[in-house]
Amino acid sequence: MLVVRPSTFSDLTGIERLLNDTDARVTTLPKERDKLSEKISESDDGFRVGIDGDGPTSFLFVLQDTDDNQVYGTSGIDSEAGYGYPFFNYRLDEVVHASHHLNISSKIPVLFLSHELTGRTLLRSFAIDPALKKSDGFDLLSRARLMYMAANPDRFHQEVIVEIQGIFDEKGACPFWDAVGRKFFDMDFLTADYYCSMKSKTFMSELIPQHPVYVPLLPPEASATISQNHPAANRTCQLLYREGFHKSKFIDPFDGGPVLKAQLRNTHTIGNIRFKKARPSDVVGGMKYLISNQSNQDFRCVIGTLVDGIGDSIRIPLDVADALNIQAGDDIAYSPL
Amino acid sequence: MYIRPIQRTDLDSLCLMAKHSGVGVTSLPDNRQKMEAKLDQALASFDKTLPLSDRVYLFALVDETSTELAGICALESSIGHGDVWYNYHVGKSVHASREINVHKVTQTLYLSNDLTGCSEIATLFLMPEYRNNQNGQLLSRSRYLFLADFRELFGEDIIAEMRGYSDADGNSPFWESLGRHFFQMEFSDADYLTGLGNKVFIAELMPKFPIHVPMLTEAAQAVIGKVHPQTEPALAMLKSEGFEFNHYIDIFDGGPSVGAKIKNVRAVRESKVYRVGLSDQAPAPDLSAKQGLMMVSNRQLADYRVLLVDQGAAGDDTLWLNPAQATILNVSEGDTVRAVSLRPKELSV
Repeated sequence: MLVVRPSTFSDLTGIERLLNDTDARVTTLPKERDKLSEKISESDDGFRVGIDGDGPTSFLFVLQDTDDNQVYGTSGIDSEAGYGYPFFNYRLDEVVHASHHLNISSKIPVLFLSHELTGRTLLRSFAIDPALKKSDGFDLLSRARLMYMAANPDRFHQEVIVEIQGIFDEKGACPFWDAVGRKFFDMDFLTADYYCSMKSKTFMSELIPQHPVYVPLLPPEASATISQNHPAANRTCQLLYREGFHKSKFIDPFDGGPVLKAQLRNTHTIGNIRFKKARPSDVVGGMKYLISNQSNQDFRCVIGTLVDGIGDSIRIPLDVADALNIQAGDDIAYSPL
Repeated sequence: MYIRPIQRTDLDSLCLMAKHSGVGVTSLPDNRQKMEAKLDQALASFDKTLPLSDRVYLFALVDETSTELAGICALESSIGHGDVWYNYHVGKSVHASREINVHKVTQTLYLSNDLTGCSEIATLFLMPEYRNNQNGQLLSRSRYLFLADFRELFGEDIIAEMRGYSDADGNSPFWESLGRHFFQMEFSDADYLTGLGNKVFIAELMPKFPIHVPMLTEAAQAVIGKVHPQTEPALAMLKSEGFEFNHYIDIFDGGPSVGAKIKNVRAVRESKVYRVGLSDQAPAPDLSAKQGLMMVSNRQLADYRVLLVDQGAAGDDTLWLNPAQATILNVSEGDTVRAVSLRPKELSV
């Protein structure tokens, strides 16, 4: 059975293997072992701190198959985007240039550097084994984060954002980067991307030119990629759109990829969530649900079948109870798949 | 050949010159009404009936053997008061990080009105058939004598805006990369509208945020601060007088603005006041020679004159003129004149 749980140090080699297999770039997860173990350590601290713990926290989850104990995916949440530092984006806005006398009026798109999204809850670090890309495991890994947020609502901002990877080709050529960032860094996209994972995105963003960028001054091939996602992120985008996320005015300052946004309570997962007492039982059948326990440190989320009904308890399959590490009478949350 | 203030009767000649000057000489729009307004302004300036900051002095180069104007030039006492004066200031931005070994210096263009209040070496146009015998030099440099004679009419700083680069077809790479996106018109049209004094549209349509130079096309970047090939001699002349690029450029074609403190302009600094002596033996100037010539002004505002004489005419305190020269200058024995060598001594521009 596939289960999403907090990452631990024992996942290190599994995550490394996974990152080498995935086609999608995951800037927030470095391939270097030292950096990776730092991330796990940060996350570990985050899960340990009680809900009273203040300050930004970074959570890293893994998708594990309980049959072979292998790691098949990672996903993460930053409770506060920017992690206490400014979180940089370009905001796509418009200015009107009009001359009544000359009968000219045009809306000029302009990119403004913005910190507005600083402090929003950020979904990140999503990587999944290509073999599971088309399975329910994909939904589980992504949406388990929302289930975790539902179990620990005080730790997160109501507004949730996701940065979607922008357009670049297999050789690392990124039209937006080449037209913007590269002019000021003299380095190719992959190198900049590497620094983003090794240093921090904030650190890199501070080097980005601060003045607004008039979009018409960019080459057409670059402006065409503004707010467009990489084909490898299609599945992610579809899932998030279904969840109720939508493209915002914000884009990644490096590759021009879109930032998706949603109000937590309006997401499909949270909007349809139920909280009940678990009654482990032999019963099978019903509809597929995401089911999670209500723990912080020992959070678990799986997909199982339930028959929803009235009353404040619900029967859950024994293997689900086992995977969630819960006893009869423990609180669970569930939301339709 | 001599310099005098423009006159009411010069209007036809002025319009003819405007027609000749073509795109790029913004201050001479091919429009009779506008040229007449300019003429009125100049006449009122010499009359001192305009406020100081509104004055524009137009001078004509006159061929005494015919009635035609050979050329005109202008001085503005203070720019940017009626119409707003725009430039891009070319600034530097450094993108640096020791940690990842990045240190990149780039340029940024900032829209500015910084040059407001400067005096300006403005329009100059010389008819093609008169482009010989130091006429261009006299026409251009005579203005420095006027500055020296009437310091009180001008500010501390003076600038000149140089026509920017455009190709043989009149295309400006700077305009194509920047202005076109905001103005949706041809460079020549924008240029014409500016010349008409219709500058409100600049404020309305111009990008207000700084422009990252690396985001312009390479062709545009290459011509920032570069003059039109035909303007190279004018630039060299200004430089020889001490003008330097002041890091401001034209917002349309990227042409440079050059500037100097008026008191430091070579011809102002080196000019000297002499007493007029009349003599039939005053040496005649050799107008084909680059060296050995002096400009002489009569120091009279309303009836201003500048003429070229031989430097041998200058004694310690006396400048010797023959009667014909004195007539043109409208001076008599004992009057004072101001004179300076036409070209800087150390340079033969």
